[in-house]
Amino acid sequence: MKKSVLLKVNGEKHEVFIKPNSTLIKVLRENLSLKGTKEACGNGECGACTVLMDGIPVNSCITLAIEAEGKEIETIEGLSNGGNLHPLQKAFIDHHSFQCGFCTPGVIMAAKSLLDRNPEPTEKEVRHAVAGNICRCTGYDNIVDGILNATKQINKMKGGNQ
Amino acid sequence: MNDFKYVTKGLKRTDGELIVTGKAQYTVDISLPGMLFGKILGSPYSHAKIKKINIDRAKELEGVKAVVTGEDIGYRRFSFIDTPAYPADQTPLAVDKVRFVGEGVAAVAAVSEEIATKALELIEVEYEELTPVFDPEESMKEGSPQVHDIIEPNTTTAWEDFGVPKTKSRPYKVINNISNRTLIQYGDIEKGFEEADYIREDRFEIPSTSHVAMEPHVAVADYQPTGKLDVWLTHMGYEHKRLWLAKLLDIPISRVRVHKTYVGGTFGGKISLFAFEFITAYLSRLTLRPVKITLTRQEVFSVCPPARRMIVYMKMGVKNDGKIIAYHSRVIDDVGAYRRSSPTALYLAHSFRNPIYDIPNVKHEGYGVYTNKLYATAKRGHSLQQMSFAVESQIDMICEHLALDKVEMRLKNFRKKGDILPNGDTLNSYALPECLLEAAEKIAWKEKYGKIKFRGLGIGTASMFSGAHNYPFASGAMLRLNHDGRMILYTGQTEFGIGIDTVMAQVVAEVLNCPMDYVIVNAGDSEISPHDIGNWLSAGMFVSGEAVRRAALDLREQMLKYASAGLEINIEDLDMSEGWIVSRSDETKKLSFSDISRYGIQMADGDPLIGKGYTKCVPEVYFWNGQYNKTASLSSGRGRFTQAYGLAVATAEVEVDPGTGEVKIIELVVADDCGTPINRKSVEGQIMSQAVMAIGDALFEEIQFKNGVVMNPNLLEYRVPTANDIPKITSIIVDSYEPNGPFGAKEVGETSRAAVISAIANAICNATGKRIYMLPMTGDKVMQSIGDNS
Repeated sequence: MKKSVLLKVNGEKHEVFIKPNSTLIKVLRENLSLKGTKEACGNGECGACTVLMDGIPVNSCITLAIEAEGKEIETIEGLSNGGNLHPLQKAFIDHHSFQCGFCTPGVIMAAKSLLDRNPEPTEKEVRHAVAGNICRCTGYDNIVDGILNATKQINKMKGGNQ
Repeated sequence: MNDFKYVTKGLKRTDGELIVTGKAQYTVDISLPGMLFGKILGSPYSHAKIKKINIDRAKELEGVKAVVTGEDIGYRRFSFIDTPAYPADQTPLAVDKVRFVGEGVAAVAAVSEEIATKALELIEVEYEELTPVFDPEESMKEGSPQVHDIIEPNTTTAWEDFGVPKTKSRPYKVINNISNRTLIQYGDIEKGFEEADYIREDRFEIPSTSHVAMEPHVAVADYQPTGKLDVWLTHMGYEHKRLWLAKLLDIPISRVRVHKTYVGGTFGGKISLFAFEFITAYLSRLTLRPVKITLTRQEVFSVCPPARRMIVYMKMGVKNDGKIIAYHSRVIDDVGAYRRSSPTALYLAHSFRNPIYDIPNVKHEGYGVYTNKLYATAKRGHSLQQMSFAVESQIDMICEHLALDKVEMRLKNFRKKGDILPNGDTLNSYALPECLLEAAEKIAWKEKYGKIKFRGLGIGTASMFSGAHNYPFASGAMLRLNHDGRMILYTGQTEFGIGIDTVMAQVVAEVLNCPMDYVIVNAGDSEISPHDIGNWLSAGMFVSGEAVRRAALDLREQMLKYASAGLEINIEDLDMSEGWIVSRSDETKKLSFSDISRYGIQMADGDPLIGKGYTKCVPEVYFWNGQYNKTASLSSGRGRFTQAYGLAVATAEVEVDPGTGEVKIIELVVADDCGTPINRKSVEGQIMSQAVMAIGDALFEEIQFKNGVVMNPNLLEYRVPTANDIPKITSIIVDSYEPNGPFGAKEVGETSRAAVISAIANAICNATGKRIYMLPMTGDKVMQSIGDNS
């Protein structure tokens, strides 16, 4: 009883033939080979699988792919523009914001959603935005530093364009 | 220290782009053509005989390619410890009886995970329930249900395979569920207590916590028709995995290739072989197709070993001035269904605390005890946090009773730089006193101690090996010069968050004085890299990093020899700079690294220029042809343990809400004596990581068992710290320069956690004025202690 679903992921349209109970992460990883999004709990408890749906972070392990039809899906693979890293990606490298890296794609997507909606977040707002993303390695402070520094970078770039 | 150009600098991860773009390949990402998916059926009982298993219906399900039971695999025993005295006690699937809820009894390989799961439901198992035992102290009593009877080795033990032929393996008859014992003694314990002015006896209890590595345990195996096994694993060093896969499949170890993958966190929990990894390989051999088994988070919590559960009976005798003169620890390690690393844990329970306090009379007893629960393993500082919590709590109580200053009392008892420990290890670097003084000053100990009601201060200390003389004993490294002057480094180190590519490149760049991008690191492929100790017991930088340094020195010497011939200048008059070999007296006389590569090929008979380096964890330890030198004994604590100890002191300030018992951590300070930090940022990252993990350990993390069942096998009910739980944390690197380590480096990844746990625990008890003897210190426990006026 598979069903044809049209998904728009990172600006590209994909027609996938899937079971109605397929989770979004399963379709992203297995049908579209977008393996940057990681599954760590399968229950919506850790945030590792965070992707954006119309700009809002969702746990793709408990989101059905059919719910994503007609929405703009963004994953870590869509973040770097050509060869250029997104300021968040660059800041995560510069500020040692990861160790094992398994939670990183999810954290970066949660942070991107925040910065897209709130260009000048406070430290508290940053912590709140990534509080649903478990990181067992870094102790979080370097993640928060990375996000705050990316914010500065983004705002500087915007300023430069005006 | 300022003379270094690359080492000590907080350089960025050279593989950072792979991580932040999602391109780094983890084992969960491995997918091979024709791959099958495996699932394992777990026992619903804690203790039961397997009467009959019917797999007929499962086999008939469309899409199922193989179904196996314990009987098919048989008594292929494996463990973390496998010595003649303690032969391996675990089989990949239960054969005759099950010993914990979730223990595998049958496994399936099918074309999809869905079909494999469905097939499990079609397997019929007939059990005969047996009385289980869950409490280790009950289990030790005469007449308790027996978890094991006789463990009968049917092959040589791994220890014999390594070449330790002292004794032949023999059946291990389990009496009163004792799985293993340790007894370490020196001085005269009875005399020590006789001479003491004050003696304290207390009982502490530490529950299991989970590692919660973000990547779930997963394995991919691809057995080739040629008899070769390719595997991708979540691990901390390939030699352990290779050894056991080869042994259990009865194929040569060189036919097992562990491929490099990124590993999504380990924290001590992914060393040695897991049953599901063998089953993945076994199913692949059976079907001649690649097989993948990915454990769910619930399975990780319920069937993968968590940290050790320990009961610690501490007895210390002190003089009135605070000098500790007698120390008796009796540790009960609730090993669960299988022994795994318990003999190691119980010896570490002594040896990790050994470098801290100089105590003349010591007795350390350890008992591993079988129960019908999930078996346990190492977690970041194996036994250290359990012992640090017990000892540091008791030291605080002693200080309170004798009205001694908690900083001064500890300083009085610390060992000294240059001390030789009772087993022969020498403290060549030792900045523990400096660590304590800095951590106390930073938190304003003197100004704040005892000043505000329901606010408390605490101290914790810890120490840890920098690698130990356990299998695989040593590390090698190779450094190959390429035509373009760049070098490829081959090391067996595994990347699970350390930044191996970066720190090893820093070591090479420092030796050869060349840009970082001249070094390409190929780490963690068992078929390409030499023998390697792995990333456990904090051996990574100290042992493998030293091997890498020596490989770079070897290549340097070879390159200088050819440069000398090519330039007709004496070696002593040559220098290396930015990828060039230059005459010291005439800068125009120089050859690039690329020129040297060409020289090797054209002028030196095609010499490919490969540097080789190697180092042993403890050089003076050996066994060869029946001769032994200072091999460590896990049961008596004799023999050499390690070449260097990492040390740490933490201080904590907390506030307790007397109405709810909730604890608010105000500040944590960690002073870590890790020798030279090879990458300052990475070292700070390790310290932060441990401090935050310790917050969970101290305040809320606990795997809860009820009748042998894990009651909180998910991340909602098993809470770990989040970004909102982080107090102000200061890390201080106290660089003591360790003469045996590469550029003076030693352990850093495991010490701080135990120091922070005990500092928080002591701070809470200082805030309330009541002692809590059990972790974690939840609001309930704190309230109970406040209400307890006894």
